Amino acid sequence: MARDALHRPPRKSLLSLLQPYILVAPTLILVLMFNVAPAFRTINDSLHKPARGLGAAGKPPEFVALGNFQDLFDDEHYMGKRFLRTLRNTIVFALATVGIGVPLGLLTALLLNRPQPLLGVWRFAVFYPSLLPLIGAASIWSFIFSDSIGLANAILKTFGHPGLNWLGDRNLVLLSVIIINIWKQAGYFMIFFLAGLQNIPRDIYESASLDGAGPAQQFAYLTLPLLRRTLLFVAVISFTFAFQTVEQLQALGEGGPADSANLLLYLIFQNISERRNWGYVNAMTIVLIGVVLSFTLSNFLLFERDETDR
Amino acid sequence: MSHFYVIRRRGADALKMAIAIFFLLPLFFTALVSLRPETEPVTNGNIFFGSEITLENYRRAFIIAPWGLHYLNSIIFVGGTLLVQLFTVTFAAYAFARMRFFGRNFLLMAILLQLMIPSGVLLVQNFRTINILGLFDTRIALMIPYWGSAFGVLLLRQTFREIPIELEEAARIDGANLLQVVRHVYVMNAIPAYLAFALVSVSSHWNEFLWPFIITRSEEIRPLTVGLNKLIKTTDQGAFYGQLMAGTLIVIAPLVILFIVFQRQFVESFARSGIR
Amino acid sequence: MSIDKEREPDMRLRNTLFVLALALCAMTAGAISAQSDIVIDFYFPSATANDAEGIFQRYADQFQEENPGITINPVFSGSYTDTRNTILTELQGGGAGPDVAVMLSIDLYSFAEEGYIVPAQTFIDAMDDGQAYVDDFFPALMANGMDEMGNVWSIPFQRSTPILYYNADLLAEAGYDSPPTNNAELVEIAQALTTDDRDGLLVPVAGGFPIWMYQSFAIAYGRNIVGDDPTEVYFNTPEAVEAVEFVRSLGTDLGVGPAGGAAWGDTPVAFLAEQAAMIYHTTGNLTRILSGADFEVGVWYLPSGPAGEDGAGYGAPTGGGNLYIFDDGSKSDAELDAIWKWVMFLSSPEIQSDWGATTGYIASNAAAWETEPLASLALEHPQYGVARDQLQHAGKEFSSYATITIQGIINGTLESILTGEAEDAQAAMDAAQAQIDGILADYR
Repeated sequence: MARDALHRPPRKSLLSLLQPYILVAPTLILVLMFNVAPAFRTINDSLHKPARGLGAAGKPPEFVALGNFQDLFDDEHYMGKRFLRTLRNTIVFALATVGIGVPLGLLTALLLNRPQPLLGVWRFAVFYPSLLPLIGAASIWSFIFSDSIGLANAILKTFGHPGLNWLGDRNLVLLSVIIINIWKQAGYFMIFFLAGLQNIPRDIYESASLDGAGPAQQFAYLTLPLLRRTLLFVAVISFTFAFQTVEQLQALGEGGPADSANLLLYLIFQNISERRNWGYVNAMTIVLIGVVLSFTLSNFLLFERDETDR
Repeated sequence: MSHFYVIRRRGADALKMAIAIFFLLPLFFTALVSLRPETEPVTNGNIFFGSEITLENYRRAFIIAPWGLHYLNSIIFVGGTLLVQLFTVTFAAYAFARMRFFGRNFLLMAILLQLMIPSGVLLVQNFRTINILGLFDTRIALMIPYWGSAFGVLLLRQTFREIPIELEEAARIDGANLLQVVRHVYVMNAIPAYLAFALVSVSSHWNEFLWPFIITRSEEIRPLTVGLNKLIKTTDQGAFYGQLMAGTLIVIAPLVILFIVFQRQFVESFARSGIR
Repeated sequence: MSIDKEREPDMRLRNTLFVLALALCAMTAGAISAQSDIVIDFYFPSATANDAEGIFQRYADQFQEENPGITINPVFSGSYTDTRNTILTELQGGGAGPDVAVMLSIDLYSFAEEGYIVPAQTFIDAMDDGQAYVDDFFPALMANGMDEMGNVWSIPFQRSTPILYYNADLLAEAGYDSPPTNNAELVEIAQALTTDDRDGLLVPVAGGFPIWMYQSFAIAYGRNIVGDDPTEVYFNTPEAVEAVEFVRSLGTDLGVGPAGGAAWGDTPVAFLAEQAAMIYHTTGNLTRILSGADFEVGVWYLPSGPAGEDGAGYGAPTGGGNLYIFDDGSKSDAELDAIWKWVMFLSSPEIQSDWGATTGYIASNAAAWETEPLASLALEHPQYGVARDQLQHAGKEFSSYATITIQGIINGTLESILTGEAEDAQAAMDAAQAQIDGILADYR
């Protein structure tokens, strides 16, 4: 904790005691107002079932404890069936984004770190997708993946392949959605890695070379450990992004067929407008927050421990 | 030795090329399709060009939305959001980095909850709040949920902690008050982190769709993404790909130019920021 | 509904202070009522790419000229789904919501249950010739706008049905002079026209909403999946099962289109690019297809199923959007009066003729077809009349209590059958029907 030197106010006037709270207040109030308080209301709503049936509009909801969660984890229930499938998809989607997108971002950063001709163009090539509005990006890909008129199948057909139903085949569609997400985000991750790489002093590598370490060893024993914090950071943001970015499904077949590519937040949007499902919508929101929270929290703790170790 | 080196270089070049093709192909065909007649997507005849090159799609895309107005609105939206964020984030980050107070870690965790609770999930609840505040369909309503930024606090707190405490002590001895210390010692020594934060903030809000769409009704304040949505939501008639691609290019062109011009500064500012 | 004292274009940027100041000024001037305008917020989805905003602004201008003192404020509200969700979010969050909105005709029960909308019947009853006004609409288009008691809730505006579009040049090349009129002919012609680069027939059941297209087949097989009462759903009848098995076979055994079905948005594009010889699609696309095609476009009724000969098995659901009136009981008579005027205006033969000709939606009353510009357009392109004439065979579009939830169940079940995940269609549909009955039990 030596580095963590804390400022001690010279005298303990009331103002100086309150000072930190005043400084923190604007952020805190806004976060409480727009994130935390609504989340707590969501917890409360997730424990209730709204009134259903004729004349339900005026009636108060009924307390059901964990009843909504029970339904969600029941494969026979109409919402449970959709929820369980969607939860599985969401986790696959998030892990694939982290597992493929983050290494791809790192790889491109390694390739585009040293000075070379047309560096700006290369970097632009990888980065520009993250400048696109998600819904615009998804529309471009819905054209590429179109079964009858799309680019991907046009290319496959020139090689004599009959073409794939990228967005219509239940076994392919989640893969298609993952490809789009990786394409959209890898460049964003690359920027973080480029920044991390530029902070590693060159002479470390020079002395390692003199000691006879090859490129693979340099990567494994120098680059990776020195990038550990960046990796953790990027893993956290990519994981949380994966749970929050769902607008693309509007242009990619609404998460179908039969929810084979549906994602949790989108399932929530799909059901938000019918009163009878409000309990489920809130319960799903709690599950979503729970998954993201536990992942982020564990990484944050690692991150902090790393920090205090230094 | 040099032989291996050449092979490795060539391998890296080939890999680079393959990656660039994967990333650039969609953009390339977006541009091509935007110039082809609407009724001729790629597979009809030549894969690259249709029967003619036409600007018709651009003409129609320009009719469908007032892009100039949407641009202005987007700039005001992201600019106004960032401007307020810079203040809120700086004060909170300084307090968390350098002050000792009761409940510090607890309050930090409370703020970090924002990273874990996607505001998109809370649309109805946040709509209610905005409505109670009487802000529905105003520019303030667009920005206010983002004025507090946990990401910004985390990033700057990190950066501030790496600034030597001696600098602050020296400034204090010279009689600087709190605001002067924050401004001259911390802000001035964290410019790259501010740049990085600005870029992240701007690029994410520039792409924001759902919240602006729900919280605004007036064309006079709606941002670009809502305009783009008009090209996409032609539900009954199916897709108008040419028009859509033209609209998408209109939307990203300025950002693309900015990135190409400033990419070096962009990456370097990240490198010197706390993100690593 | 808001009453503006002065109509500044950027009034909506006002903050609370500005409004207060303005109200004070107006009060001191003491002339509120003399200058006040009734403003009608009108939400519309952009289901067409033909610059819907520009067209609605033109209608609004015309209306305002004819009705001084009323201002129409047209608001673009995304797709049909966006429109429904936007309005519900706004109303649930305590917002004012629109005064009039174009929403799917099947959204009726979702909004009526919440008490957000008022029946048009109230206004019709107050008219001198109310029954005549209702009788002018094609009866099939009223089916979804009425509740089980016969009360009219919403007024047809941009209505459609699926029809068969065919590439007449390709059919002629293959020796077919007329379009298929039943499923057997449909399959025969589709197979004859299928090549490596071209699908014989695209039925857009992929992309999220298979239920609408599927309903055409269910009706053609002899039984609609929805009854007159909003608690009646028949999803596991023999007809319903046969219908989905036929649709599935198009992509598998018969091989005339992609397995799992075509995507909604790509289907007309593929047709125009001659990558598909025949498609099922909405009449809302007629104008786009007629103006975009480089070949002769034929349009005909959806082919009949095995249920009957001589056209008895024809059938298609209606679709599209109606005009809904929003009021939670707080609106004044003057405001409601203005709202009804706007609804009457949009459903008038004059506007229906113009809207139908611009888009291809079926003009909803017979008089519109005698009115320019649609009258001469229908003469020049007989294709416009086909959709109208098919209405005599049309059935009700799926709508029930808890419509969104039940549609979700049906769409998911259809998709899992069509993509081969659920091989036993009957079993999957029985399970779905059981879930549906469980939900509808709340309403019986």
